[in-house]
Amino acid sequence: MKTLLRNCIYQGKNVYRDMGFLFWGLIYPIILVSFFYIAFSGISNIGLEDIDIGMERENPISAILETIDMVNIVEVPRKDANRNLAEGNIDGFIDEDLNILVNDSGINQTMIKGIVEQIKQMNSLNRPMENYDFEANYIADRDQEANGILVIFYSLIGMVSTYSVFAGIETVSLAQGNLTNIGARLNITPLKKKDFLFAGIIVALAFNLLANGLLLLFIEFVLKMNLLREARYSLALIILGNIFGVSLGIFIGASNKQSIGVKTMFAIASTLFLSFLSGLMSPDIKIILDKNLPILGRINPLAIIGNSLYRVNLLGNTKDVGVGMALLTLYSIILIFGAYMFLRRRNYDSI
Amino acid sequence: MIVKVDNLVKRYKELIALDHFSMEVREGEILGLLGPNGCGKTTAINCILSLLSFDKGEVEVLGKKMTPDAYDIKRQIGMVPQEVAVFENLTVKENIDYFCGLYIDDRSLRREYVEEAIDFVELKDYIGFYPKKLSGGLKRRLNIACGIVHKPRLIFLDEPTVAVDAQSRNFILEGIKKLNREGSTIIYTTHYLEEAEMLCNRIVIMDNGKSLVSGTNQELKAMITTTEKIIVRFSQDDDGIMERIGDIPHVIEVTEEDGDYIIKFENGINNISNLLEFIMENNLIYTKLYSQLPTLNDVFLELTGKGLRD
Repeated sequence: MKTLLRNCIYQGKNVYRDMGFLFWGLIYPIILVSFFYIAFSGISNIGLEDIDIGMERENPISAILETIDMVNIVEVPRKDANRNLAEGNIDGFIDEDLNILVNDSGINQTMIKGIVEQIKQMNSLNRPMENYDFEANYIADRDQEANGILVIFYSLIGMVSTYSVFAGIETVSLAQGNLTNIGARLNITPLKKKDFLFAGIIVALAFNLLANGLLLLFIEFVLKMNLLREARYSLALIILGNIFGVSLGIFIGASNKQSIGVKTMFAIASTLFLSFLSGLMSPDIKIILDKNLPILGRINPLAIIGNSLYRVNLLGNTKDVGVGMALLTLYSIILIFGAYMFLRRRNYDSI
Repeated sequence: MIVKVDNLVKRYKELIALDHFSMEVREGEILGLLGPNGCGKTTAINCILSLLSFDKGEVEVLGKKMTPDAYDIKRQIGMVPQEVAVFENLTVKENIDYFCGLYIDDRSLRREYVEEAIDFVELKDYIGFYPKKLSGGLKRRLNIACGIVHKPRLIFLDEPTVAVDAQSRNFILEGIKKLNREGSTIIYTTHYLEEAEMLCNRIVIMDNGKSLVSGTNQELKAMITTTEKIIVRFSQDDDGIMERIGDIPHVIEVTEEDGDYIIKFENGINNISNLLEFIMENNLIYTKLYSQLPTLNDVFLELTGKGLRD
C-alpha cells in the first residue's frame, strides 16, 4: 500500500508537471470547446432572435402571424421590399398572394416558407387558422437545429474523457525495460511492474477526471451552457470514457516499440477520427453515418459516449445507455487483456 | 563469489552478442569489464541482471540463481545505467528519493540516505533543479546517485563516464573508489583502459562477446610477450636502421610512427643500455628516447590484433 501511494505521488508529480499532459489534457479541450462555441454561437443564437417578416399593412395574414411570438412583423410597402431585404431590415417579405421574397437562404427563410406553406394548406382545407399552433411547431424545429450543434459539444466531452490515453501510454512506456531507459532501470529494482502500472492507472484516471471536471466547469460557468442535466449517467459515462482511454493508452503503449511521441500522435489521431465519426466536426457526418452505416455509431466508443450523453441530458432517454456502458467496459477489458499479453513477459529479447 | 556467470550465450537473430561468456566477481573488489564499444559489455550486464533473456548459460548473483522476479537479490543491487535514466519532471531530490524509496521503507532512514547521496555526488546546490536544467556531468552524477542511494552490496556501473568532461570524470572515479572502500562490490564496464587500470582490482577483457582473459593489471600484462616499449627519435634518417635495431637482443618488433621508432622488447632487463650501445656504435644522434611499460591496450592488441579503440 505504501509503495502504491509513493508511486502515485511521484508519478502524479511527473504527469502533472508534463507540459504535454497539461496541453492535451486541459488546454487543448478548452481551446477546442471555445472554438466550437464561437464558431457555432451564430447558428445557435438564431433560436433566440425574432424573425422579421415584411408585409404591407393590409395583408390578411398579418393578424395570424402576430399571434406567433417569434415573428416580428415589419410594415413594408411592396416597392420597398427588395431594398429592405438587401439592407437586412427583414428576413423575408410576404405579399397578399402569399408569395415570398427572400434575399438570403437560412433557417429564418426556411421557417418563413414553412409558415406560409402551412397557411396555404389550412386555406385550401378551409380549416380555421386558430387551430394551428405555429409557435409550438417551429420552436420545436429550431430546437432540433440547435440540438444538432449540441452533438458537437457532447462529442467533444466524449473525446476528452478518453484523453487518459496519454497518461496510459506514458505509464506503460516508463514501466517497460525495452521502451525507455527508466523502464530498464525500474526493471532492475525490487519494484513490481504491476505496482508501477496500477499507480500509473490511478494517476491517469485522477488527473484526466480532474481535467474533465475543469472543462465542464468552463462550459457551465464561462460559456454558460448547461449540458449535463442528468448527473448520474453523465458521470458514469465520463468515468467509463476515462477507463476506456487509459486502457487504450496502455494497449498502444505496450503493443509496439515506437517512441512515446509517435504513440501520442497515434492516440490523438485515432481519438480525433472516432470523434469525427461521432459528429465532432459536423453533426451531418453523424447523421449520414447513422443513416447509412448505423452499426458504426453503435460500436464506435466515442460515439457511444457522445450519443449517450446527448440522449440522457437532452432527451432524458436512458434507453440503450446501459448497453453502451457495457460495450465500453468490454472494450476496456479486451484492451487491458491485450496489453497484459504484451506486458507479461518477465524479461526482454532486446532492449 | 558474489557473481558467477557461466557460459552465457545471447543471440540477436544471426548475431552472437555473448559467446559462451564467463566471469566471476569476488566480494569487495572492483571488477573492470573492459572491451571496445559493441563487444557485449552492456549485454552481459543486462543478462546478469535478468533484464535480457539469454539463450544458454547460468547466472548466480549473491549465491542465488538470478531471475526477473528475484526481488530479494534486486534489493541488494544498485545499477547505474549507461544512459541517464531519471524522471524528467521530478527534481534532483525527488528523483533520488523516489529510487531510494524502492528499497528503503523507513522514512527517516530514507531521508538520511538521500542526504548522504546528495552530498556524495555534490548536488546539494541543485536539489530543486529538474534534470533538463543540469549539464551533462551533473546529470551523470544524478544518475549515479539514483543507483547507489540505498547503499547496495553490489553495484553495476555501465560506462558512467561516457561523454563526461575530465573534471566530472575524476570526480566520478574517486566516488567509485569511495563506494568500494565503504564496502560495495563494484562491476565497472568501460572502454577506457586508463580507468580500468586506475580503478579496478581485477579486469576481464572482452571482445566479440567473449571473455578473453581476466586477472589483475599485473597478471594481464605478464601474459603478453611485450614487457617494454622504447620510443626513440633520431636527428637524421638512416637507411636500413629498422633492420639493424631488430638485431638488438630481445627486440620483438620495430615500427615507425611519425618519425618515432617504437621498439618492443621481451623479457630483457638491459633493454635501454642495449639500445644506447647500438646508438653509439652507429654514431647516431637521438633527440628523444623513453621507455614505456605495457598497457592494457598492448594486452588487448596482442590478444586480438586490434586496439581497444579501433
